[in-house]
Amino acid sequence: MNLANLLRHISLKHVKLQRTYMLLAVSGICLGVAAMVSIDIVNKSVLQSFAESIDHITGRAALEITGAESGFPEELLERVQNVPGVEYAVPVIEASANLSGGSERAFMILGVDVLQDYKIRSYSLNDETTDIPDPLLFLAKKDSILLSQTMAKQEGIVIDQEIEVQTVQGIKKFKVRGLLNPKGPAKVAGGDIAIMDIFAAQAAFGNAGSIDRIDVSFLPGEKLDTMEARIRKVLPEGYSLDTPTGRTRQVAILLDRFQKSMRFIGFMVMFVGMYLIYNAVSISMVQRRKEIGILRALGAKGGEIIALLFAETCVISAVASVVGIGIGLGFAKLSVGIVAQSITDMYLKTSVTALTFSWTILFRDAAFGILASLIAAAYPAVSGVRSSPISMILPLAPTVNGFKLSRKLMAVSVLLLFLSSVILAAYGMAASDSAIRTTGAIFASALLLIIGISLLTPAFFYRSLLIFRHFLAPWLGAGGRLACINLQKNVSRNGVAVAAIFFSIALYVCSANAMHSLRVSMFDWIDSIIRADILISSGNPLVVGGAQSIPMPESLAKEIEKIPGLQSVEPFRKSSLDYGGRKIMLEIFDVALRMDYCPGMFAEGSKEEVVQLVPGQDNIMVNEGFAARYHIKRGDTLVLPTPDGPVRFGVAAIVVSYTSDSGIIWMDINTYRRLWRDTLVDCYEVRVKEKKDIPAVRQAILDRLGKNRHLFALPALEFRNEIKKIMESSFLITHAVNIIVLIIAGFGIVITQLASVLERTREIGVLRAIGMKKNQVAGVVIIESALIGTVGGFLGAAAGLLLGWIELEGFFRLDYGASIAYHIHYASVAWAIVLSAGLAALAGFYPARRAARINIVEALTNE
Amino acid sequence: MNRLFLSLCTVILLLPSVSPAMTGREVYEKVHELRQKALDRQVTATLVLFDKDGATRTRSLIEYSKNADPDAYKVLVVFQSPPDLRDVGLLVHARTFSDRDIWAYFPEFRRVRRIPTNSQDDSFFGTDFSYDDFSGPPNLDDYTFTILKEEVLDGKPCYVVEVTPKVHRKWSRFVAWVAKDLWIHLKITYYQGEEQYREGLFTDIRIVDTIPTSFKARMENITTGHKTELTVDNIQYHTQFPDDLFSQRSLERAGK
Repeated sequence: MNLANLLRHISLKHVKLQRTYMLLAVSGICLGVAAMVSIDIVNKSVLQSFAESIDHITGRAALEITGAESGFPEELLERVQNVPGVEYAVPVIEASANLSGGSERAFMILGVDVLQDYKIRSYSLNDETTDIPDPLLFLAKKDSILLSQTMAKQEGIVIDQEIEVQTVQGIKKFKVRGLLNPKGPAKVAGGDIAIMDIFAAQAAFGNAGSIDRIDVSFLPGEKLDTMEARIRKVLPEGYSLDTPTGRTRQVAILLDRFQKSMRFIGFMVMFVGMYLIYNAVSISMVQRRKEIGILRALGAKGGEIIALLFAETCVISAVASVVGIGIGLGFAKLSVGIVAQSITDMYLKTSVTALTFSWTILFRDAAFGILASLIAAAYPAVSGVRSSPISMILPLAPTVNGFKLSRKLMAVSVLLLFLSSVILAAYGMAASDSAIRTTGAIFASALLLIIGISLLTPAFFYRSLLIFRHFLAPWLGAGGRLACINLQKNVSRNGVAVAAIFFSIALYVCSANAMHSLRVSMFDWIDSIIRADILISSGNPLVVGGAQSIPMPESLAKEIEKIPGLQSVEPFRKSSLDYGGRKIMLEIFDVALRMDYCPGMFAEGSKEEVVQLVPGQDNIMVNEGFAARYHIKRGDTLVLPTPDGPVRFGVAAIVVSYTSDSGIIWMDINTYRRLWRDTLVDCYEVRVKEKKDIPAVRQAILDRLGKNRHLFALPALEFRNEIKKIMESSFLITHAVNIIVLIIAGFGIVITQLASVLERTREIGVLRAIGMKKNQVAGVVIIESALIGTVGGFLGAAAGLLLGWIELEGFFRLDYGASIAYHIHYASVAWAIVLSAGLAALAGFYPARRAARINIVEALTNE
Repeated sequence: MNRLFLSLCTVILLLPSVSPAMTGREVYEKVHELRQKALDRQVTATLVLFDKDGATRTRSLIEYSKNADPDAYKVLVVFQSPPDLRDVGLLVHARTFSDRDIWAYFPEFRRVRRIPTNSQDDSFFGTDFSYDDFSGPPNLDDYTFTILKEEVLDGKPCYVVEVTPKVHRKWSRFVAWVAKDLWIHLKITYYQGEEQYREGLFTDIRIVDTIPTSFKARMENITTGHKTELTVDNIQYHTQFPDDLFSQRSLERAGK
């Protein structure tokens, strides 16, 4: 009989009969594949969308010149234009705007020199890519704007219509002079884009005479390296010169965190899935022992039986992987917006209109799922066919717990645990710039720890049973002792169930504690940093700075100060600069004023020193993550690019700030305005004299200033709570995955217990025949389940606490700083143990019911 | 090149009749010579822009130009109407017939903008004429000329000359109908590869101060269906404007 026939006649029948078990067993693989697929698709889609946006926006430009985020003088343009080999060098302004009224649609403004920009980007004032009835009028009038056809259609806007747009200068009226067909730049940000002539854009959205970027194309035959060198010669220091793909590269770095954490989750889920596959194959071996024995007796070789089991696993896991791909697509659809938003905040309005995936990636993820299943199935399949055909046909003998409790396995597990601790110790003792202080090292340590404990589980379970038998079983009477004996009979398989519980509980406790620690640290930090009473912003109430924010002029401060009842008005500006190839966030505020009322959190340095050293001077503060990455200590100096060239800054303090994992620099607003000549403000932080006046002052601000500008004035308490809510929601995915893992582990117990019941059908029959009641039989099975759950729970809780610390250390402290303290969330630990015991007991109900319903006569004849 | 103003204000030189064995280059030497002599002028004109649906927009302008020896020429164009475009201006300083600077001025921004020199073939502010059409005559050495045939157009005998640029331009060649003895374009067709993309017709030829001048020019963009009609309302030759009129300051003051 060939493999296909065996699959059709034997495996298919088995799958049909045991479809519920099969479904449970493959759910882990299915979710693991789903997690991996969603990560890959989200990543690819966001990067693709960003790269396309960059392509459309940069057009034929081979190089981009950028300076400070606040812009740089346009005089540089002529210098670049005169570089030999430069074909075109065109200025660009990128800004954000909102339609005022109606949908309040946010869109991107691209300010370009329309007289020559079409030479770089694929549109022109009067060809088929645009519909501009009067190009001269478009150029001549300050209020001219071109909208993408997509956006105009959705908003019901037509040519020559006047629209109100929220700008830096307040709400301004613009006239739609034309529509851009959905080609080239008009496709950027899903069509949420408008194009203005550079002068008009400067007047409405930036500083006159200042530009954000120069896009450069080369004459035919010129080489990138040569041109880069030539252009660099004419650029002052501090300007960045990169290819358009360089921006995509920076985004890839930003996505790295998302990728890392999602891969970790995917790996965890897949691991649980492997436990379940292991269990399912083990059960399959028990259930089909006789059938396999007959096949062997009829001449089937051990290798053929293994091939059959592998083929079954392969087919089932392939189906699971395909379903996983479907679920992964769903996950990706749900999460892609969130990831795209983070790119929008930091770089460019990125709107993912369609998911991008490659068949190769989907195939790779599915193959990984199948491979994981085959690895999980290997041990039970191989060990299952080792017995002789006759012993397989005969009734089951009590299981021998061989390899799983062997000294060899113990030695391997101890070795793995030792290696894990060595890595951890080395990591802990290494200097911050050491090569070992990487996420990879910490991940390796966690992996070794998990595998080490997993291998140790049967031995731990065996010893736990001994303790239980001595101290607790007598309290539970015969049922307790019987449960203990039954579990001891097959420690190997029960050990796997314990390991599954251990793993899921460890994952739960690990995440719960890492998240709790993050939550406590971040909430403390938010409370320490947002001490004003009202926060005034424009563009988005909860986003201060970045692509969603519409800056306000500094003159607005004077208007705000006129409102009665105010104690102080503090401007806040968020910008960024390139440092060491990364985009570093620059947070600018009035340091003297802020230190007056805000405690701040200092890792190195003090408030007094900061007040003395920073205001108006070339001294800054950096956050811990930045300090660790670039090995900076208080008192060091570092050179930062400014519009007028590099300036050396002293580091007055190392501060705690979690706004960005790329690194944060705090600068005094007077220093910033002096060096950057940028007077815009992203947020005004207002303090009122009497706290009871906050609502009245807020209303007065909106009444007085909200006519010419769409402002948001949020009471700080509300702002803090909203930010906390956003942070909480970011933990939701992790919580959801934990719960799913826990449920899958619960199913694992059901499968294990069912196998155990099936294995003991005759024995249960005997017990029932000698007078044991149905509820007593059921009670034994439930106690067994609860015992598996409790042991797994304790082991998982202990390992989870350690893993939580490792996760915090390797995934968060590395980027955010050492100030994130590890806070044990005792409730989650207690919950985990109660939950594991309770869930396990609950999982035992079905097998218990089945055991109780065993027909005594049939059971006694069961061979 | 100045195909528009060649049509508007080309001088007839009372030379002996041309031998039928003239080459394309020789035809254009005549055209160039006469256009150079017609550079000192003031033109008041009306432009009507037709979009592909037939909707029209009208604007009027004044053009001042001078032969700026030892430089090639200088041109100042100022829009008079509609009110939104009043005082929008364009200034051309041609050092040689192939090297020039172009600036534009938009009063609302109060800033003079330099127009890239490589924009010569681009649309002149949304019309179907190019910046080149509003500049002086070209440098003949930058082109090759071939007489294709002789033909009568609108009752006037013409040389049909194919002109191919030696450097990269927006168009690959043009074919011009040059009226014999008048040395003025009557028709011009631009090609991109084998595709015709722009066509100009110059009609209502009158003699002003001995210079044959087209009082009506019509340029059509075949690709977009957009066309522009230019009507000369008034023209004066031999104006001899002072150099000050062609400064950036004058551009900002709309020639006042």
